[in-house]
Amino acid sequence: MTRWKRFILLLSVIGPGIITANVDNDAGGITTYSMAGAHFGYSLLWSLIPITIALIVVQEMSARMGAVTGKGLAELIRENYGVKVTFWLMLSLFITDLGNTAAEFAGWAASNEIFGLSKYVSVPIGAFIVWLLVVKGSYRVVEKIFLVICVVYLVYIPAAILAKPDWTDVALQTIKPSFQFSTPYVMMLIGVVGTTIAPWMQFYLQSSIVEKGIQKEQYWASRIDVIVGCFLTDIVALFIIVACGATLFKAGVRIDTADAAARSLAPLAGRYASLLFAVGLANASLFSASILPLATAYYICEGMGWEAGVSKTFKDAPQFMWLYTILIAIGSLIVLIPNSPLIAIMWISQVINGVMLPFVLIFMLMLINSQDLMEKYTNSRTFNIIAWVTTVVMIALTLVFVVTMFL
Amino acid sequence: MPFFAGEIFVSDVQKKPVLDQTGEEIGKLKDIVVAGGDPFPAVTALVVASGRAVYVIPWDMINLFNRRVISVIATRSSLTPSAPASNDILICRDILDKQIVDINGAKLVRVNDLELGDVKGRLCLVASDIGFRGILRRMGMEAKGEKLFSLFRYKIPQKLIGWHYLQTMEPKLSKLTLTVSRQKVARIHPADLAEIISEVSQKERSALFGSMDVETAAEALHELEPKVQVGIIDDMSKEHASDILEQMPPDEAADVLGDLPEAKAQELINLMEKEEAEDVQELLEHEEDTAGGIMTTEYLAFPPNMTVEEAIKELRLEAPNVETVYYLYILDHEEHICGVLSLKNLILASPETKLGGIMMTPVKALPLEAKEKDVAEFVSKYNLLAVPVVDENMAMRGIVTVDDVVDFLLPPASRKRRRR
Repeated sequence: MTRWKRFILLLSVIGPGIITANVDNDAGGITTYSMAGAHFGYSLLWSLIPITIALIVVQEMSARMGAVTGKGLAELIRENYGVKVTFWLMLSLFITDLGNTAAEFAGWAASNEIFGLSKYVSVPIGAFIVWLLVVKGSYRVVEKIFLVICVVYLVYIPAAILAKPDWTDVALQTIKPSFQFSTPYVMMLIGVVGTTIAPWMQFYLQSSIVEKGIQKEQYWASRIDVIVGCFLTDIVALFIIVACGATLFKAGVRIDTADAAARSLAPLAGRYASLLFAVGLANASLFSASILPLATAYYICEGMGWEAGVSKTFKDAPQFMWLYTILIAIGSLIVLIPNSPLIAIMWISQVINGVMLPFVLIFMLMLINSQDLMEKYTNSRTFNIIAWVTTVVMIALTLVFVVTMFL
Repeated sequence: MPFFAGEIFVSDVQKKPVLDQTGEEIGKLKDIVVAGGDPFPAVTALVVASGRAVYVIPWDMINLFNRRVISVIATRSSLTPSAPASNDILICRDILDKQIVDINGAKLVRVNDLELGDVKGRLCLVASDIGFRGILRRMGMEAKGEKLFSLFRYKIPQKLIGWHYLQTMEPKLSKLTLTVSRQKVARIHPADLAEIISEVSQKERSALFGSMDVETAAEALHELEPKVQVGIIDDMSKEHASDILEQMPPDEAADVLGDLPEAKAQELINLMEKEEAEDVQELLEHEEDTAGGIMTTEYLAFPPNMTVEEAIKELRLEAPNVETVYYLYILDHEEHICGVLSLKNLILASPETKLGGIMMTPVKALPLEAKEKDVAEFVSKYNLLAVPVVDENMAMRGIVTVDDVVDFLLPPASRKRRRR
């Protein structure tokens, strides 16, 4: 294959990896990173390097399984571990994703309120747009729109530049691990790691690789897609931490939501930094509000054996389209109903998320090492060691994260 | 010969202890080996696991096999561990939870459970459970689930697909295809076929009809709901549609045409063979819910002076084209009914007798305008398989057969279900 042809192929395969990794910086992720920057300055930046590695390791396995087996993760779990496990897994993931979707709509509503738009206007419009996109769009079109949305994440870079950070300090703190023996610092560190890998991401990535029809021969290109995506995501995370660290941390402003961060930036870094921050949050929230229900619809249909796919119609894949519709409808309604227990719902969904993650990661490792499924594409010995270490660390930190939620 | 009782779901016996002659536990039932027989694969061995040891126990060594007890005619110590052959089909490993796709590769559902049953004295794989009940059973919650749903006065339906609708399998397959393929489609009873058709989408339906031969398509089309029929006809080429309509008994063709827009119906009639077209045209003129509307114009009619021998010869030629052969109507040259003969009468009579001499008179007949309800009462009162329909001049115009009456009293299962 000539270099030119390889480049064209790479462009045609790129998408799922970048999209999935970017959704990692959703409303919840941006909140966590803003808080990390505002409360601890640059001192948590070093954690982004191991986080990026962990993210790449896990995402790469999902992409590889999708390309080699041509089946989604839920499909493989059902076929190899039976209906009982699959059923409870799907039910739990459904609940967490419903909670998370509501959280994304809350983020969308909050960022729109910065622009003076009431949530009773912004949420229905947002819900309708994401619904229409998947229901009426084809996979090719939807993916292109998603990729454009991924570019919007870069608004955090000028936002950080406007905050005028000390770049030498930033670079130094990124490569030099540091540690503070204080409970809030450890909690924040766990929070940053805990938001990195969520069960639904592995399902979504693998399903979209399958729907895109990527074969094992083109897998090398998908791997690049995944790695680039993970780097982009954590670069964005870095700039969010920097923007808040250079301003809010120095001024001693404490925040607990992402929209509060955007508001507090205005007097410290200027109106534009604040607006860019709000745009980033609005974009990320709405994007995730579409991907989360999509991922849920994918894996429930795969697990049950129903037809699924963005390119299908209501007639061809009724369960898939209805699941997507219902998740968006309920998710947005939770935000709109006055006094709805949004915090409680998010809390429950975070807990279930954490409890599910070990199962999903261990299933993935068992599946990817099955010669029957993966042929010569199983993990190498070295990769397996890295993957198991990552898995164990992720599981341990996530479980601690869950436990801290009860404190 | 192993003793097994009735139908057994795989989930009910999976992981059940397997006992030897002395009542000692050999291990737990892990899997079941089947031979790829047609249409129902027979059980050939059981795979029993005890810790790391695996035993493959041939079916004829099994003594009892039911959801309570599985026992073997051998002692535990006499068995040697072995592994299933590489080309063996293991139903838990190879079939359970696999994807079922239709002929066009569209995903329908997964195999939630499997049913084993008696086929000619052998325990065979007879059906695949594709319903929610199957999932509950696999999770060991069938009874609980049933109780829960009965609170809402909802009965969880059984949804099984007979194994003969699924293509024969091979080891380690990744999906099962519904056998609505060209070769096997004809073997499915049209009413069952209609059920499958009603479950798939419009696009797939049309593809399905394209793959059937004209006779099968004609029979299946009749079993479908009017709305579905219209959709299918609309998607077909006019030539193909008219071919299928020709194959249908005129009364059924008229039913279908009656549901189409008038212009479309007329266009199709014009494309049909002249003779069939005339029959259908005539039927279309009658009200749908009268004897004239539900009757068929194809019946056996003979002159009174024909001999039994000639009549039997004639019958052989005509029989394929008519709906019922049990009654032979004796008509004069003006088509008035003189008498009727049952097939039994005809066969029992000596060959040279004239039909007029053995026919039964008078004949009970209905007018064209008789209402459906009256037709049903009439059939029931006189215990008939078919009743002749006559016009105002008492000339015979057709017959209403008992299946049309049953259809009206009790719509076919496939239609009734979809109406809900």
